[in-house]
Amino acid sequence: MITRGSDAGVPGQAVPPFTLADVRDVLDARVIACPAPGVTVAGVVAADLMSDVLVVHRPGAVLLTGLANVQAVRTAAIADLAAVVLVSGKLPTPDAALLAEEEHVPLLVTSLPMFEAAGTLFSALAAATGPAPTPQDDG
Amino acid sequence: MNAGRASTSIKDTLKELGVAPAMVRRTAIASYEAEMNVVMHARRATMTLRVTPARITIEVNDEGPGIADLALAMQEGYSTATAEMREMGFGAGMGLPNIRRNSDAFELHSDVGRGTDLSIGVDIH
Repeated sequence: MITRGSDAGVPGQAVPPFTLADVRDVLDARVIACPAPGVTVAGVVAADLMSDVLVVHRPGAVLLTGLANVQAVRTAAIADLAAVVLVSGKLPTPDAALLAEEEHVPLLVTSLPMFEAAGTLFSALAAATGPAPTPQDDG
Repeated sequence: MNAGRASTSIKDTLKELGVAPAMVRRTAIASYEAEMNVVMHARRATMTLRVTPARITIEVNDEGPGIADLALAMQEGYSTATAEMREMGFGAGMGLPNIRRNSDAFELHSDVGRGTDLSIGVDIH
């Protein structure tokens, strides 16, 4: 069980999971499709080249990308990613939106550019999961 | 629009067969990269899925230009992709290395002017 640093007075208190709803709120994102906003997010992959996404095995992660076409959605579906978030206000092509609906891939759009979106999510995730647990002292 | 559909179908089949999620994912990723290579470079191809209790095998046999230098093609970053291919989000030269990385058995044969045959094996643990 992971504890927040700021809740040090309450050891063992569970941290609520970081969800797609949190991603939406933190990035002030517009939702194209998000059937299950309560889904837990396991991390983030940020890339415009889909082969770079496929190198990283991170199921449950959100894909941040500027690639607003079908292949971003297909990659997310193949790699078991939690959602596709398009950056810089890019809107998905009609084919991409249709495929997202067919494959039940949540699809959001943020006006933030890639660097700011990635940094914002990184900070929010770090704040949500807290500092890494310290090793137990055997002495 | 259809690029990737075959791999999605392979993934769905493996899930129906009860293959463990990690192995489904590895196979689907390898399949998808192989499918995108076909879409970008070949004229036509067949993809065949075989599943035994021990191994998942995908054979990809295409008719196309073939690969002149296999060692070079396996090098990360080496690509013969066009700008149009890159607009799809692929063509960065990571496809074949990604396939090998996600497979336990990998065989690649090619003849310039005829096509390429790729065999991908993923062990079931």
